[in-house]
Amino acid sequence: MRDFSIRRLGLLLRRDFSAGYKSVFIAMAAVGGFVILVSVLSALGRELGSIHFQLYFPLLFIGGFIATSLSFKELYLNGQGVFYLTLPGSSLEKFLSKLLVTSLGYALGSLFFYTAVSSAAEGINRVIFGYGHAFFNPFTRRVLLAVTVYVVTQAVFLVGSVYFRKLAFIKTNLYLWLFGIVLTIVVAVTAWVIFRDYAVGPRIGLEPYMQELGRSGELEAVLRPMAEKFLQVAKVLFWGAAAPVCWIISYLRLRETEA
Amino acid sequence: MTDTGIEIKNLSFGYTKELLFSNLDLTLELGNIYGLLGKNGAGKTSLLKLICGLRFPEAGSCSVLGREPKYRPAALLEDIYFLPEEFYAPAISSELYQQLYAPFYPRFNPEAFQEYLREFDLRGGKKLSEFSYGQKKKFLLAFGLATRCRLLLLDEPTNGLDIPSKSQFRKLLARAGEEDRIILISTHQVRDMENLIDPIIILDEGAIIFQQPMYEVTRCLHVGLEQVQPSGDGVLYTDKTLGGYVVVRKNVSGEETQADLETLFNTVIANRDRIGELFAPVGKEEV
Repeated sequence: MRDFSIRRLGLLLRRDFSAGYKSVFIAMAAVGGFVILVSVLSALGRELGSIHFQLYFPLLFIGGFIATSLSFKELYLNGQGVFYLTLPGSSLEKFLSKLLVTSLGYALGSLFFYTAVSSAAEGINRVIFGYGHAFFNPFTRRVLLAVTVYVVTQAVFLVGSVYFRKLAFIKTNLYLWLFGIVLTIVVAVTAWVIFRDYAVGPRIGLEPYMQELGRSGELEAVLRPMAEKFLQVAKVLFWGAAAPVCWIISYLRLRETEA
Repeated sequence: MTDTGIEIKNLSFGYTKELLFSNLDLTLELGNIYGLLGKNGAGKTSLLKLICGLRFPEAGSCSVLGREPKYRPAALLEDIYFLPEEFYAPAISSELYQQLYAPFYPRFNPEAFQEYLREFDLRGGKKLSEFSYGQKKKFLLAFGLATRCRLLLLDEPTNGLDIPSKSQFRKLLARAGEEDRIILISTHQVRDMENLIDPIIILDEGAIIFQQPMYEVTRCLHVGLEQVQPSGDGVLYTDKTLGGYVVVRKNVSGEETQADLETLFNTVIANRDRIGELFAPVGKEEV
């Protein structure tokens, strides 16, 4: 592949990781301070349950989505867009670099950072109070699942980042809400069309029908395979298709971007 | 053509439904420092952007060093350095800039870069964001020259440079003109480019109305200073100046006179239709 070189990808990764390192350090200091403060205060109140997953979760998702939304910001800034687009590297290499930095890079970086900060916080707790919360374990199934879900869902924000000139994070969220509302309306209208014979005033009253089916076991036999099929399709779409589709859209958009 | 220059054929491009360029043809060959002149809004910057793949043509073809810039292939970008009028200089030290960006250009020459920086009187250890506008521009020019790219696109390169820097810029660029390189300079500051750019390309209302080497200009045009403002068909352009009138006529005597770029530009713009008859068809007499 003439338009892909590991060397150039490495150079782009180095550049993307080093870009804005000051802001990253400031954000890390602020988050680190907040985590230590919350950890110490909750230990003071003797709330010694597991708090670290609850703290890491927003850092991973909200922080990651914001970082992802900012990743292609330079594309639309005066002067910077020209600089970035003429930097020797193919669109594929540039896209892969941003993807790796904001997905795996951010997930692993935040995991490493949070493990260190939470360990420090718990160390402080134990020095001050002689006790503390359970240490944050980055290798639990729950944490690894969260990281995997992040890698999939951040792809949507990558599309937003390359599409929107300004306020990509807010606009992506608004579009997701809009998508949710449209989907709800479509489902509601479809349900109304299918079940309108069971309408009781403005609502659909399926209870008598369902009870009858339930008693006969017909409901179980009909609906369970359907529901399982639906869940299977939804899982395949989420784990297998959602992120790649978003990546392809982002890459094509980057390739088509003019400055 | 040739995988060695720029060939634009029947190119159409516009920002709105009204096209800026319609069926534009242009051929540029290696080994020249081209000057791209034109009025505001003539399309000079758009042309540079089309050449380096920042804008895509709506029709026609554009081939740069044997590749289509539209796809921004990495191998082509490694050979193009574009310094726009509104440039970007990140808030990092000059040393870090070199570390981060020089490896993108396989033929980058670090010794030459240091030499250019010295000639521009730029010292290291400072962040680029702490440089003045002119210093940033000089830094990026030095970097661009050191990349040894085969295509150097400079948009208004002397804007913001002080007088000594303009002179240094001319010297460096004259040295940088190599046989396997095209330097294309878009500028309004024609006086800064005197004796540097050759051939001259004049873009007007989205069309190349003039593309000639300076020897052709000297051969075809006669420039003189006259006390009385002349009139008549033989006069192409007159301009009142200190001590009389600069008068441009068709060169029938064969005498060699030197037209400055400003006079040449004004002559061409004032004689869009006649100038084509005086010179050989655009691009055919290219050196």
